[in-house]
Amino acid sequence: MYSKDDILKAVSTVIDPEVGFNLVEMGLIYDAICNENMEVTVTMTLSTKACPLHQMIVQWVEEAVLRELPKVRLTKVDLVWEPVWNISMATEEVKARLAG
Amino acid sequence: MIIIFGAMAQLVPVVLEVGHFAVDLYYTIYPLLFIGAILMAMGFVYYPSLLPFGGTIAFVSFSIFLFETFLTILKVKKINFVIVSVLLANIFLFFGLIIGIILALGYSGTIDINIYQFLKAHIYLVLVGYVGITIMGMSLILLPMFWLSHGFSWKYIKSSLSILSVGILFVVLSSFSNITFFEYLGYFFTLIALFLYFYQVFIIYKTRVRLENDIYFKSIMFSFLSLLLSLILGIIYIFYPIENIFLTLSWILLGGFITFIITGHLYKIIPFLVWYERFSPYVGKKKIPMLVDIVPKKSANMQFVFSSIGVIFVSLGILNINETIYKSGLSFLSIGAIFLLKDILYMIRFKEDV
Repeated sequence: MYSKDDILKAVSTVIDPEVGFNLVEMGLIYDAICNENMEVTVTMTLSTKACPLHQMIVQWVEEAVLRELPKVRLTKVDLVWEPVWNISMATEEVKARLAG
Repeated sequence: MIIIFGAMAQLVPVVLEVGHFAVDLYYTIYPLLFIGAILMAMGFVYYPSLLPFGGTIAFVSFSIFLFETFLTILKVKKINFVIVSVLLANIFLFFGLIIGIILALGYSGTIDINIYQFLKAHIYLVLVGYVGITIMGMSLILLPMFWLSHGFSWKYIKSSLSILSVGILFVVLSSFSNITFFEYLGYFFTLIALFLYFYQVFIIYKTRVRLENDIYFKSIMFSFLSLLLSLILGIIYIFYPIENIFLTLSWILLGGFITFIITGHLYKIIPFLVWYERFSPYVGKKKIPMLVDIVPKKSANMQFVFSSIGVIFVSLGILNINETIYKSGLSFLSIGAIFLLKDILYMIRFKEDV
């Protein structure tokens, strides 16, 4: 089984092209679990509901997990809107960059 | 209008969260609108008999756009405030078009109508009803998205949209009833609505977490300052109805507000489309450029500086009836337009080995 950190490392290869940071740094990944059947579930959100890359980002996350963690058999992404994302969830580096 | 339609082709699915009913219809909308606009321009300048033909072709183009949009809206399962704004804008466009075709027939002498009255209703329905509400609705999606604003109330924009709709109805009603009171009531409601919209934008600005002063931010700020200035001039015009003031506020609204809100978004939307098409397949697999890398920053800033100075000078030229200032403003605008064209070509052609 992979740990949450392993999964987050895999997901961190996916970037938000608008801000240039990966989804983990942005604080968009709420949870990541791998069960004994090597099925991974990623719970995540987006910085806005109207994100035009909505479906693409979900697909990228699924692909990233499968690509980076070879033993994973299946990836499922739960896209949630609660709690609503806010900047406090991002890393200090992201906050500093966005602050100009 | 073509650029607005192009933007809507991209934004409608984002806003409505459903795919287009038939996006390929846009391939017929653009050429028809282009031909219609050319014929109408020739009709206004040289041959009035061309107006009904140009008007009919433009009408068909707009109708296809409306048909596609309404059918796309029908796919929506859950109606929200932004969807209501899209629906309202398109209803106003529909009636604006009907009046537009009547106007074209009137101009060409086919039917006998009071052109001024119909023109007022037509302009108000299309420019305020469609373009205005579309900009309002879309900006509520785009501003929080690009500024990363969260946790703000929408109550001001909701009130603004309701009041604006009533204002538009009053102005249209005054066109057909000859009751001047309705017209002024309509303008009054419009002003109130715009101030509420402006306040809503200010709230979004205050709650933003993205503080970079990039070309998008500068353009949007200039755009909203222009809107505020034209509103103030509008109030002055109510008390001092001098033609120069009206022309100046109209110019600032068009050249400052609408133009800058469009150009600002071009610097966001074009890089996104290019990135999506050329680089998104390599996400996670290779190092790829970000959206910000696709924007030519220095040139974009030059475009902003020349265009904004141009808008200011042209405004002063119109207000003071000074041809020299007016023409110098046009020169600045022309250089700004060259930079804009150069930037658009740069972004469209952006390639980087990945």
